[in-house]
Order: sequence, then C-alpha cells, then structure tokens
Amino acid sequence: MLEESSETSSPYASDPETPDFAFDPDDPWTQTFQEGLARADLKGKTVYEVGVGTGINVAFILQSCGARRVYGSDLDPRLVVLAERNIKILSPEHAKHFEPVHGSVSLVDTNEAREKIAMTDVVIACIPQVGEPSDERLTAFREAQSIELAEGAGDEAEDHIAHYYPWSLFDQYPYNSVGLGLNEALMRRIREHAPKAELVMNFGCRIGTEIICECFEANGYKPEKIASKIVLQHSGTDISFFVSLEKALNGTEYEKQLVCKFYGDPEGKQPLSATKAQEMINDDPNVPLYHEVAVIRGTPV
Amino acid sequence: MQVSNTIDCNGLSPAPTLLRIMQALVGREDSTSPLNVLVGADCNCESLAVSLGPLAQDVQLASDAKQFAAVN
Repeated sequence: MLEESSETSSPYASDPETPDFAFDPDDPWTQTFQEGLARADLKGKTVYEVGVGTGINVAFILQSCGARRVYGSDLDPRLVVLAERNIKILSPEHAKHFEPVHGSVSLVDTNEAREKIAMTDVVIACIPQVGEPSDERLTAFREAQSIELAEGAGDEAEDHIAHYYPWSLFDQYPYNSVGLGLNEALMRRIREHAPKAELVMNFGCRIGTEIICECFEANGYKPEKIASKIVLQHSGTDISFFVSLEKALNGTEYEKQLVCKFYGDPEGKQPLSATKAQEMINDDPNVPLYHEVAVIRGTPV
Repeated sequence: MQVSNTIDCNGLSPAPTLLRIMQALVGREDSTSPLNVLVGADCNCESLAVSLGPLAQDVQLASDAKQFAAVN
C-alpha cells in the first residue's frame, strides 16, 4: 500500500519560467511524478528524461534525489532551452550535471539521444496517453461507435503536444489500441538501446493500472506502482477516446475486462465509467471529475 | 493513412485485442482480402470471433504469420 502524500512547499528559491507552451509544473501530475521519483532510488544514477518540459523534474532529481547526471530532450525544441534556463535558476549548483539534447527529439530518435540512452541507468517519462482528437483514423473509430467529439475538444492549446499524440503513427504498437502506443514505443526503444535501464513513467490511469502493467510485462519489464494520487481531470482534455473503447466492447464478453476509471470525488471512492463521466460533462462541462495518476517503475526482466 | 493488412496483437489480453481489430477494420481501404491478425498462442480465437460478430468474416486469426501466407 502506498502512503498518503502530503503537499510540500517548493524547495527552490525562485519559481521556474513557465510559458503557455510548457506543461504547468504546479500540476498535480508533476507532484505525483516527483513523489515517485523520490522513491525510485536515483541516488548516484544517470537518468534520461524523455520530455523535459520546463526542467522542473531535472532540477528535482538532481537536487532532491541525488542523481549523478541527467540527460534530457523534448519534442518541442523550445522546451529543452527553457529547461536549461530554469535549472540554472532553480538549482544553480547542479546545473552542470544536466546535459540537454537539443533540437526536436521524438522519444529518443536521434543519434545523440540514443548515445546518451546507452549510458543511462534510469529513463523517466511522462508522455501523452490520449490520441490526437483530430486523428483521421481515431475519428473514424469514434464515429463508428456513434460518439461525438465534445465541444471544443478539437481546439489546440499552446501545450497541445504535451497532452495528445498522433495516434495513427503509432499503430504498429499493440497497446496503441488503448492509448499507450507512444509509451510502448518508448519501452521498445529503451529495451533496444539500454536493455539494463529501468523505466519510471507517469500515467493518467483512466484505462486502469492493470492494463498499463500488462503493457510493461508484454515489453519485458516487471511493473511496480511506486506513487499514486487522485487528481482533477483537466476540463479541457477530451475523453471521447475512452468512451469509444467502452462502447466498442459493449455487449461483448470482454466488456467488463476494460472499464475506464474516473471518479466523482477527490478521494476516489465513487468510480465512474468513461461513458458516465462523459454524460456528466455533457450535462455540465465544468463538473469536477477525477482520475488516478500513478508512477510505474519497470525493471527489465 | 492506410492500415497494414496484418496487425500484431501478440501479448495483448482479449479486450485490447478486440479493440485493436475493430480499429484496424475501420481504417482499412482494401476490404477485399481478410485482415490478418497475429495473436498469441494462448488466444481463444473462437471466443474472439464470437465477440467480433459479423466482423469476424473479415478477419483471419493466427498465432504464426506463416499461416497467413498459406491462406492468402
């Protein structure tokens, strides 16, 4: 059983620079991820963060977890530059231990990124688990289930790529069917380029932790949940994908095997299916809904 | 984007396997030949076919890709 977490004040003298195109470092996803990172035995280790964002996690693992060196990259090339600046502000004494991989790096798909991954003990990541709502094939699947896209769901916020991934491009990965294609692609790359490295990944567990753990196992990792928190569902995040999954299974013998996990309360005591959650959103777009965020450590087996 | 005529569902449990097949069938442009679905050796293909309903006639399930070559 995981311990209940408590809110902690910032250990940093200054606040990080956080433009609109960066994922908000005060978001409870980040808090949960850092609770997991604190339990991930990173002392003295070389860590690679896939998707450094503002650099807040890099500063945290250098300052509070005792990592020896941290590499990092991001799909948005502006973010790795931002991360460098922020780490110098947040933890100047550790800044020299951060080695960024510049440019736009999808997962670890550049030579420099792969070279650094090969020297890494632990890879950490919090990357999207929801397909891009406007994806052509995802739209066809949603429409086949007679599910409409929620109003405003197709609008692109500044930090859009921090929330959604191009679903069709990752269709070769089996767990793409439940929104884990990007994460599974990362697992396979790490298995190939750093077979002894551990993975520490942050997930919004709307499809349930069981299937996320199944994805780890199918890709050669022993999963362990090391942190968990019930968080408020982002009101702007489209959940029609999850509703489509439930509806596609409706009436089959597998419908009870995959029921999405939303909650009507912040304690996580009132479970809701995605279908029910969407009905509540349709009635009141501002209704507070919750889901679990969990940090899963994968140890190669 | 066109879907490949063979999809890999090896390692997936039944529910995501069924979803993956349904998603692939929606995305196909060529529906003249069956969709080849590679499943694990422990897959209950009969049960999967029942859940697919009428869609099952558009699908060829096998645990060894060589079986597809024999059929197509």
